[in-house]
Amino acid sequence: MSADVRILAAEPNCHLFGDNGCGFTPPTIGMFFPEPWFANIPGSAGIDLYLVLLLVAVGAVLLLWSWFSKKLSLVPGRRQSVGEMLVLFIRDQITRPTMGAKGDRFIPFMTGVFTLILAMNFTGLIPGMLPVNSNLAFTAMFAGVIYVMTIVIGIRNQGGWGYFRNQIFPPGMPKAIYILVTPIEILSVFLIRPVTHALRLFATMFAGSLLLAVFAYGGWYMLNLTAEPLLVGVSLLFSGAALFGYLAFFVFEIVIMLVQAFIFTLLASLYINQSLEAAH
Amino acid sequence: MLVELAADYNILRIDWVKFTFGAIALAVVYFFVARKAVPKVMAVLDERHDAIEGGIERAKRAEAEAEEIRQQYREKLEEAHRESAQELERAKEQRAAIIAEAREEAQAEARRIVEAAHAQIEADRQQAMVQLRGEIGGLSADLAGRIVGETLSDSAVQNRVIDRFLDELEQSQSTQQAEVR
Repeated sequence: MSADVRILAAEPNCHLFGDNGCGFTPPTIGMFFPEPWFANIPGSAGIDLYLVLLLVAVGAVLLLWSWFSKKLSLVPGRRQSVGEMLVLFIRDQITRPTMGAKGDRFIPFMTGVFTLILAMNFTGLIPGMLPVNSNLAFTAMFAGVIYVMTIVIGIRNQGGWGYFRNQIFPPGMPKAIYILVTPIEILSVFLIRPVTHALRLFATMFAGSLLLAVFAYGGWYMLNLTAEPLLVGVSLLFSGAALFGYLAFFVFEIVIMLVQAFIFTLLASLYINQSLEAAH
Repeated sequence: MLVELAADYNILRIDWVKFTFGAIALAVVYFFVARKAVPKVMAVLDERHDAIEGGIERAKRAEAEAEEIRQQYREKLEEAHRESAQELERAKEQRAAIIAEAREEAQAEARRIVEAAHAQIEADRQQAMVQLRGEIGGLSADLAGRIVGETLSDSAVQNRVIDRFLDELEQSQSTQQAEVR
């Protein structure tokens, strides 16, 4: 089981109105560092829960798409329609608005990225588990791949110097402005952009699961069925409120996971578009 | 103890093992989803789009073709009408011409027959006249001989007398004819 259980197990009988006098221990960022099963890897935390959840996410994505893409026909059934809707969603909401029709060749890649990120977010919905993207290594990997892609595609489409010139000196500006704009553009395009691209997804997943953990921990702490009857009632009320909060934020978290996967893919598409054509 | 541990946790550290496995995961998804599954779905989408578009295109083409054929048919029909009308007109003209010609011919023929008849009558009359003149001469001489009681022996005198008589007769006859006309 996961980190929260591990921490709870440390003080199993710590509850509100308990007689052992211990206070509430809030979830710490330790929950994002599950105990590794295989730790003897230099410079790494080792093989831990994240990699298992990653495997689950990848397996889910592969299963989903092999299911969507089998026995396709011109007149689609319900299953095929859902798969097509997903592809059309990527086309009409992500690649077409950002890149236009010339971005159609990126639809398969963007669809793969979107579904993989979504699956890696959704592992956080399994009780006691974490979103895979609540670890910076994975989001940095995604952002890094997109970053390398933008540079490679940019050089291929606009030439080595052409691409960097278009990024650093945005065309159609008075020459004097470049003194101001060029350092900002260098910073924003080549340093800040990939970092924020990775951090945005990581931070939302991290904060979201921490928030859910707070409600889970609090609800568990406030639930005390061994105290005096009146206090049991109060504790039930409190933990009931915590449960309600947990469920509300659970639904909220699903929305956030969808939105963040969408935003990450949309931004990736936007960045690649800047490599396809000179800035306007 | 937990707080102490938390101090060691660096959430911004990028674990290279996780990074590597993440990259492998993306590569796997890329090859199975982005290279295989999604293109298959997109191919069907394109195919359907083509099928629908093609159907509409075919229907439009068939409609245009039908319209063209209808137009041609209408034109041919009009032409046929026009031609038959012309034919009728020509036939009418021909008929009139034939009738006129026939009438003319008939009139000419009739005129010719009438003229021939006139000529014949004139000839007959002439002949009768000549014959009559001979006969009347003989008869007159005979009669005169009987009246005078002698035969006019001198034939030259006889002929002169007869001729004079006949001329007188002719003159009176032609005045009579003129009066009739």
